[in-house]
Amino acid sequence: MYIYLPVAYTSINILLPIVLGFIVGLLSGLFGVGGGFLMTPLLIMLGIPPTVAAATDSNQIVAASTSGTYAHWKVGNVDFKMGFYLLVGGFIGGLVGVEAIKVLRALGNADFVIKITYVLMLGIVGAYMFIESLSSMKKKKTEEITAVKESKIAAFLKSLPLQTHFGKSGVTHSVLVPVFLGGFVGILAAIMGVGGGFLMVPVMFYILKMPMHVIVGTSLFQILFTCIEVTFLQAYKNHTVDFILALLLLLGSTMGAQVGAIFGRKLKGEQLKILLAVIVLAVTVKMVLDLTLAPSLLLSQAGGH
Amino acid sequence: MKYLSLSSRTLIILKWVILFVFFVFMDNAFGELMVKSNADHIKIDLFYHGSAVIVSGVSNPSDADLIIKLTSAEGHESLRKKGKVGNMLWMNTGELKVENVPNVYFLHSTRKIEDILSREEMDKYVIGYPALERHVEMNVFNDAEKTKWFNEFIKFKESLKLFDISVGKISLKRKDGKQNYYIMTQWPYQAPPGNYKITVYAVKDKKVIENATADVIVEQVGLVKSLAEMAKSNGALYGLLSIILALGSGFGVGLAFRKSGGAH
Repeated sequence: MYIYLPVAYTSINILLPIVLGFIVGLLSGLFGVGGGFLMTPLLIMLGIPPTVAAATDSNQIVAASTSGTYAHWKVGNVDFKMGFYLLVGGFIGGLVGVEAIKVLRALGNADFVIKITYVLMLGIVGAYMFIESLSSMKKKKTEEITAVKESKIAAFLKSLPLQTHFGKSGVTHSVLVPVFLGGFVGILAAIMGVGGGFLMVPVMFYILKMPMHVIVGTSLFQILFTCIEVTFLQAYKNHTVDFILALLLLLGSTMGAQVGAIFGRKLKGEQLKILLAVIVLAVTVKMVLDLTLAPSLLLSQAGGH
Repeated sequence: MKYLSLSSRTLIILKWVILFVFFVFMDNAFGELMVKSNADHIKIDLFYHGSAVIVSGVSNPSDADLIIKLTSAEGHESLRKKGKVGNMLWMNTGELKVENVPNVYFLHSTRKIEDILSREEMDKYVIGYPALERHVEMNVFNDAEKTKWFNEFIKFKESLKLFDISVGKISLKRKDGKQNYYIMTQWPYQAPPGNYKITVYAVKDKKVIENATADVIVEQVGLVKSLAEMAKSNGALYGLLSIILALGSGFGVGLAFRKSGGAH
C-alpha cells in the first residue's frame, strides 16, 4: 500500500518508513543518539528530497526522544539538572557555530575542512571508546596510568567556581563545565550539520564521569529540545517538514525507542559503550567511503547535509 | 420567402463548398493530426501512486512518423555539483544553475529522433536531448563543460523518473489512408503538481508537418492539498502542530508501554 507525501512530492510504501523508524528508534533508546546519521541517508535513498529528509527526521526524533526520555525517566535515568546546563551551552554553541560556518565558508574550502575534521573526530572517539571498553571488559588493570591523567583533569575541574552536585549522576562539577562542553558540542553540531549525540555521549562519559545509563536518558532529553527547535525552524523558514512522512516514521520510532530502552537496561554500561563505539566506527567508515568512492550521480538537489 | 429560400440554399451550398475545400486542403497540404488523452486532470490524493496516461489520436498522412512529447513549463533549477577535491575526495564543489529547462520531459517516437528529424527542426521544437542541451543555459565556462554537466543533469533527472526517451513504443494501426496511434505511459508520481502539455508531432521528410497539443493538469486534492498549502502559507502553525503530534505520540507510546508492563 502506497501513501503520497504532500511536501516531499513523492509516493512511498507505507511500511518502509514505519520499519525504518523502528530501527532508528531502537538505536535512539539504546544509545541516546538521535539517529539522523542513519535515517537521513536512508530517506534520501527512498526518493525523499534531502532537505525534506533532514527536516522530517528532526520531527520524528522529537517523538522518539520523547518516548525514550520518558522510558528512561521512569526508571530514574535522566539527570534533568545536567541536561539543562548542557542545553544552555548547546544553545549558545549553536549560535556561535552558525556564525563560525559563515567565516569558514568565506575562507573557502570549508566543506573539505569540516568533513575531514568530522571524520577524524568520529574515528578517534570511536576507536578510543572501542579500545577502552574492550580493555575494561577484559578487566585489564589500567587504572594506575589513567588515574594520574584523570587526577590532573579532575583537579582542574574542581578548581573551577560554581561547583554543584548532580544527584542523579552522582557527580560534582562547576556549572561552567557542562555549559562549556554543551557549547563545544553545539558549535561542532552546527558546523557539521548533525545532532551531536555521537559526541555528547562520550563527553558525558569521559569528562563528566556520568554513569552510562544516565547518559543515555540525559542525552535523549537534550536531543529532544534541540530537535524541537530545528523542527520549528525548518517548518517555519524552509517549509520542508512532511507531516505524513513524520507520522509514519514516529509510529515506528516511538515503539523502537521503548524497546531500545528495555534492551539497554539489560546491558551493562561497558557493553553499551562498545556497541556504540562499533556504530560510531561504522559511521566513520561509511563517511570515508562516501568521500573516496566515485558517486553514481554528480548532481544532487540543493539542501540537506 | 422565395428570396429567403434561395439564400438558405446558397448558404448550404456555400457551407459544403467550404467543408470540401477544408478537407481537400487538410489532406493535401497539412494532413490531419488529432490528440486526446484519458487523463487531462490528474488528482493527487493520499493514496496516489502515479497514473496511467493514454495518449491516442489519428494522423494523416498515414506514412508520417510520430513524436509525442510530454513536458512541464520551462523554468530554472539549482543543483549541487560534486567533484574531486585535492584529487582524492568527493565533495560538493559548487552550484549548477540551469535555465530554460522543463522539470519533466518525456519523449516517445516511432523511430530514432535523429533518423526522422533534421537538426534544425529538432532545435526549433526542442525535440531530443541534444536539442534540449542547445536550448538550456548553464553557469559553465565552455561547451565541453556544458556537455559534461548536461549529461549529468540528464542522469540525475532520469534517476528521479522525470526525464525519459523511448523509441518504438507507439502503437500504429493504418486504416483508410490514415493511421491511428496509441501509447500508454505511466505518469510518474514524482512529477509535482502543475500544468503539463502533451504535443504530438507528425514528421515527414525530416520535417515537422503538423503538430497538435493537449493539456494535462496535475493537482493535489483533499488532505494532501490542505497539508501542502498549510506547510507553505502557515509554516509556524504547521511546525507547532508537527511538534505537538510528535510529543503526544512519544508520551502516548511511553504510557502504553508502561501500562502493558513493557517498561519494567
